[in-house]
Amino acid sequence: MNFFKRLDILVRNLWRRGQTDCDLDAEVHAHLELLADEKIRQGAAPEEARRAARIELGSIEQVKEEVREARSGAWLEQLCEDVRYSARQLHRNPGFSAVAILTLALGIGANTAIFSVVNSVLLRPLAYPHAERLYLVREIVPQWSKFSPFLLANLPDFQIWRKQVHSFEDVAIAESTSAILSGAGEPERIHGVRASANLLDLLGVRPVLGRTFVPEEDEPGRGTAVILTDDFWRSRFNADSGLVGRTIYLDGAPHLVVGILPGSFRLPAALQGLDSLHHRQDFVQPLNGPEDYERDLIGEFDFGAVARLRPGVSPEAALAELNTVQAQIAQRARQGLDLRAKLLPAEEGIVGPARHGLVFLLGAVSAVLLIVCANLAGLLLARVPGRMRQAAVRRALGATRLRLVRQLLTESFLLSLSGGVLGLWIASLGVKWFVLVAPLSLPRLDEVHMDASVLVFAFLVTGITGALFGVLPAWRITRAQPIDALKSASAAITHSPRIRHARETLVGFEVALTTMLLILAGLLTASLGRILRVDAGFAVENILAAEVDLPPQTYSSLPDRLRFYDRVLEGVRVLPGVRDAGWVSLMPLSGQGSVTGIGLPGRQRVPDENPAANYRPVSSGYFRAMGIPLLQGRVFTEADRGRKVVVISKSIADRFWAGRDPIGQICVTQWAGDVESKVIGVVGDIRTVRLEDTPLLMVYVPHWFNEISVPASASIIIRTSMDPAASAASIHGLIHRVDPEVPIVALRPMTQIVSESVAPRRFQMLLVLTFALSSLFLASLGIFGVIAYSVEQRRHELGIRLALGAQLQDLRRMVLRQGMSPVLVGVAAGIVGATLAGRLIRSLLFGVSSYDPLTIAGVALLVVAVSCAACYLPARRAAGVDPLIAFRYE
Amino acid sequence: MGDKQTELLQGTLDMLILKSLGLGPLHGLGISRRIEQVTRGTFQVRPGSLFPALHRMEEQGWLSSHWGESENNRRAKYYQLTKTGRRQLDTETERWGRISLAIARALQAS
Repeated sequence: MNFFKRLDILVRNLWRRGQTDCDLDAEVHAHLELLADEKIRQGAAPEEARRAARIELGSIEQVKEEVREARSGAWLEQLCEDVRYSARQLHRNPGFSAVAILTLALGIGANTAIFSVVNSVLLRPLAYPHAERLYLVREIVPQWSKFSPFLLANLPDFQIWRKQVHSFEDVAIAESTSAILSGAGEPERIHGVRASANLLDLLGVRPVLGRTFVPEEDEPGRGTAVILTDDFWRSRFNADSGLVGRTIYLDGAPHLVVGILPGSFRLPAALQGLDSLHHRQDFVQPLNGPEDYERDLIGEFDFGAVARLRPGVSPEAALAELNTVQAQIAQRARQGLDLRAKLLPAEEGIVGPARHGLVFLLGAVSAVLLIVCANLAGLLLARVPGRMRQAAVRRALGATRLRLVRQLLTESFLLSLSGGVLGLWIASLGVKWFVLVAPLSLPRLDEVHMDASVLVFAFLVTGITGALFGVLPAWRITRAQPIDALKSASAAITHSPRIRHARETLVGFEVALTTMLLILAGLLTASLGRILRVDAGFAVENILAAEVDLPPQTYSSLPDRLRFYDRVLEGVRVLPGVRDAGWVSLMPLSGQGSVTGIGLPGRQRVPDENPAANYRPVSSGYFRAMGIPLLQGRVFTEADRGRKVVVISKSIADRFWAGRDPIGQICVTQWAGDVESKVIGVVGDIRTVRLEDTPLLMVYVPHWFNEISVPASASIIIRTSMDPAASAASIHGLIHRVDPEVPIVALRPMTQIVSESVAPRRFQMLLVLTFALSSLFLASLGIFGVIAYSVEQRRHELGIRLALGAQLQDLRRMVLRQGMSPVLVGVAAGIVGATLAGRLIRSLLFGVSSYDPLTIAGVALLVVAVSCAACYLPARRAAGVDPLIAFRYE
Repeated sequence: MGDKQTELLQGTLDMLILKSLGLGPLHGLGISRRIEQVTRGTFQVRPGSLFPALHRMEEQGWLSSHWGESENNRRAKYYQLTKTGRRQLDTETERWGRISLAIARALQAS
């Protein structure tokens, strides 16, 4: 049959329904008359004949309904009907509909938002061509592996890999750097990347303007080219396309702008070393090196390295070849140390650290949606008895059971669809908010957005949600038999213990999920608390830290730098309220700094005897200012000037001279050359990089120690007797009086630094806590609903009990007991679930076990208390039943 | 015909209807009686199966319908074969012949 004819029929069926229906009715009735005529002809009395005909025909309405269903377009017609009918139903219960749509919107919105993040960060492949062939290269010095299992890459090693490792199509290195931009306008400290010239080509990133670097620009003294990021080009240079080919001044030296990167480009932190603290990326410059301190084969491991494997080369084969080369390098280095390497798929290296936390978040947020579903299923179930009769009438009128299910499901899908649309809007706000407040350490944060797959996800979640909370009530309603329609308000359908049971099961489920979420959130909260209370080894209160960056053009010599620091300290010490002040190259919680070995004279080449230590030049006042206790000996004095003396942390003393006096002992510091140094003091251990990590071995050196011991950037640490924030302005003014050209990178109280160091953890904890508390709220709504419903149902029974002499408290207790039993089961199940799930998040915990009894008990108590309150309100109403009214109520 | 049979023999019902209309227009009751008669009561077509089938086949263009007078002067809706319907009957008959032959052979063989 041709298409137009079919369309014509469809249109006629849909638009001229009245007429076709009329026609159908006449036809079926005519059939009945003919049937009766036939019976009369066979000898039946007219009355009898009509009755027999009716019996033979069956229900006229049912026949008509079946014909209607056989017609083309029936499904469309029914769908329209169902949607209209459902909309009417929802409109008639505006309270229920609003609650349902709102909770659904929040649930679906939160899920979609978190999924957008997961999708952008974890699921979408890295935005580089053939990203599957990209691997991060980390170096391993087995003798140091106890302290730092993996090291970043070393510049001379990289140069050897480029020549000798043939499995690599190419390999590139990068480290974060900064420079002071001068020239037109205010001098500004800008942040960027120092990378081998081939990095951009290796990643497959093309500048939108200009060129990438050429190999010569990696050579010392020739790397004066610079490529700017899109952001910086726009904000500082107003997207001036004539900038390429012009000269800008970085650290006072002319640099030629050769290119502008595309707007989407951001070099992930994992590709530029691990401690890139500044998340701004303004420029990329070539290696222009090695610098003097970068010439050792086993020395400064500072660079993030990324290799592109040749097509068809397996990572195992590449690693084997790389390790052969590493062994040769170790031999050439002749330091008695071994050297190996590790290849890490780039994707894993970049997003791996974030995976656990994000997947956990997704799990938590989907638990919230499950609770929303359970709640709605419960609410719908409560309305089942009221609708049983209606369903029975519809069945009597010829609706099939499938048809009824379809209609009821249309209702729940209409709800979930409305919730889904609203949820998408909430999600788009949520994603914007997330990007705004998420800690910058989250990889690929700049790529987070909603795309087609997020829409598909939202659509699927919406559909699944509708099915989840709609199927159970729909199924129950359609158990209605036509006969029930006659037994109008029969107890059989209005009072159904089965429905109560189903609702109690749902409540138990909600409580279990809520308990689980709360316990996990509690564990994260407890972890954060433990971290903040951990003895860091340094003081936090009343300390102000000013980070300064000395412009290289005016501070290239050590005496100049030292003079600046000395003048600042002198000035600071006489400020009112300042008790101590000192400087340090890199203050605690700000990154790794210089990490190389320390050993003992004569024994230093024996493996395992040269642990990695963190070297930090300090002024002698630093320890008192920072509140690091001096345990033995003394700090640096002018009398030591010119001598190789060090102050070490307690763990070094324990390691080398356990039980002996470390003062006056000689150790070999391997920082910019091996030097025999005398220990003059021992100070307490501190948590140097992260509060979570056990203290590192620390070596503090005086400014005269060597040619790199007066840093170009440092933190001035000031301990005050009053609120440190109050001193900030005067300290800012003082530093600028000493030299107005020196940028102050940051001026923060130590409390803020500590707080910022746990920001990612706090962010995650707050999100999970929000989800858990919303669950608790939803679950208590669910409990309230069930109890209120059951009290309403049992009003009559309660009245009789009262009339028969039951005490009010007995009734209250009975209702409470009934309400609390699914809660208690749920709490128990939740605790079991949490101990299982707790194992999965063990890596996110600190200082608490995944079955911390205090957290579990606290959460159980909270859930029980809130549930009790949710039960109590309706229970009180039960107690308020007047026996007389109860009887009249029937 | 029971519910299960209706489903099983959907195509069969269509063919029987087409066949019964081969001699001329009939109303619904006429069709069901004709089918009963030619199958000697093996198939009794319930109205709940007959009418949906008639309307479906009309939509497919195999049948056309018009209102007319019955033998005892009652208005009734008459169905008759269209050209497509006649062609469909031929195809169905031919197909049915093949199937029943094949099944008969299969049953004899085993």
